[in-house]
Amino acid sequence: MPVETRAFAIQGRSDAIVAASQARRFALRFGMATRRATELAIVVSELASNIVKHGIRGEIRLAHDPEVPPRGEITIEAHDVGPPIRDLQMAMIDGYDDVGPIDPALLLRRRGIGAGLGAVARLADRLEYRKEEGGKVLTARFLLR
Amino acid sequence: MAQSEDPHVIVTSDRLQSVIEALSYASVDEFDSCLDLLQRSGEIKDEFSELETAFSIFVRELGEAKSELNRTLAQQESINRELEAKLETIEVQQAAIRELSTPIIEVWAGVLCLPVVGIVDSQRSAEMTETLLETIVAKQARMAIVDITGIDVMDTKTADHFIKMARAVRLLGAECIVSGINPGIAQTLTHIGVDLTGIRTLRSLRDALQLYLRETEQLVVHQHSQLARKLTAEA
Repeated sequence: MPVETRAFAIQGRSDAIVAASQARRFALRFGMATRRATELAIVVSELASNIVKHGIRGEIRLAHDPEVPPRGEITIEAHDVGPPIRDLQMAMIDGYDDVGPIDPALLLRRRGIGAGLGAVARLADRLEYRKEEGGKVLTARFLLR
Repeated sequence: MAQSEDPHVIVTSDRLQSVIEALSYASVDEFDSCLDLLQRSGEIKDEFSELETAFSIFVRELGEAKSELNRTLAQQESINRELEAKLETIEVQQAAIRELSTPIIEVWAGVLCLPVVGIVDSQRSAEMTETLLETIVAKQARMAIVDITGIDVMDTKTADHFIKMARAVRLLGAECIVSGINPGIAQTLTHIGVDLTGIRTLRSLRDALQLYLRETEQLVVHQHSQLARKLTAEA
């Protein structure tokens, strides 16, 4: 079986909603359990809203690779053109961004609670980060069980 | 065709005139009138008439090419219009998606209902909190029912934020009921050890509404009996 892929351009908030719901369908199609597929959708949604919030423009790429043991894997790649994450470890702490704790008074204006990357790290089986020419890629992996 | 030694061809000025006229017709896209003129003047057969024939063939082809081009342009234009209409639809739908992600319904005077369906991520949770708290103040609501029947998974931190929203509702002097908690969410909430004191949770939206009605009814009955007692005391 070949690797199957799908890509979604992310420019606005509604693109994030569309990508998340399509990702859920994508995962269900390859036999992922409903709960897990919804968790995958949450991860897509978090990564896509990060593109909207912090990047200039970007893309979510889904891929299903049936060869990864034991039963295949679905990867979510969030590519964006924009500034790099200054401190990934820090950004993954809930209530922190990539430089430090977020002032609670600014939470509303920030349109978020600073828990997005934390959620991605908790929900995905693996999370990888790499810098790219002019931007960055976050890869979240979900194993099919 | 008679070929003479003389390199000159003699042409009367009216023939020249009609070719010039034909050319001016062609220049304004009047190809039919142009061809008419060229055919009418084609009675004499000489070298000039060959030029006229070549000219008319050229004009006919030009006319055909031109009308073909116009047809394509018209098609292109209608395709463009269609595309523009579609883009407009997409924009409208995107706005609808954004709005639909946090609808707040005033189901009863002073009772707000926030039905949550689909995928809840941290940003959406933050948006819901903001919208709900603003609406409670704006509508002077006494109760907010957050129905999460449509949600089966939430990240722990997001769920935590969600419960904090319920607590913030109380700070604004309204009561918050969370209805429709399903087993998955219940597990998440107990797993992270969220303190649920002060937050009423009910199985369904229907139960939540019934509770509200019962309480208002009791309040009304209570007020009535107080009033009646006051009246008898006065009498």
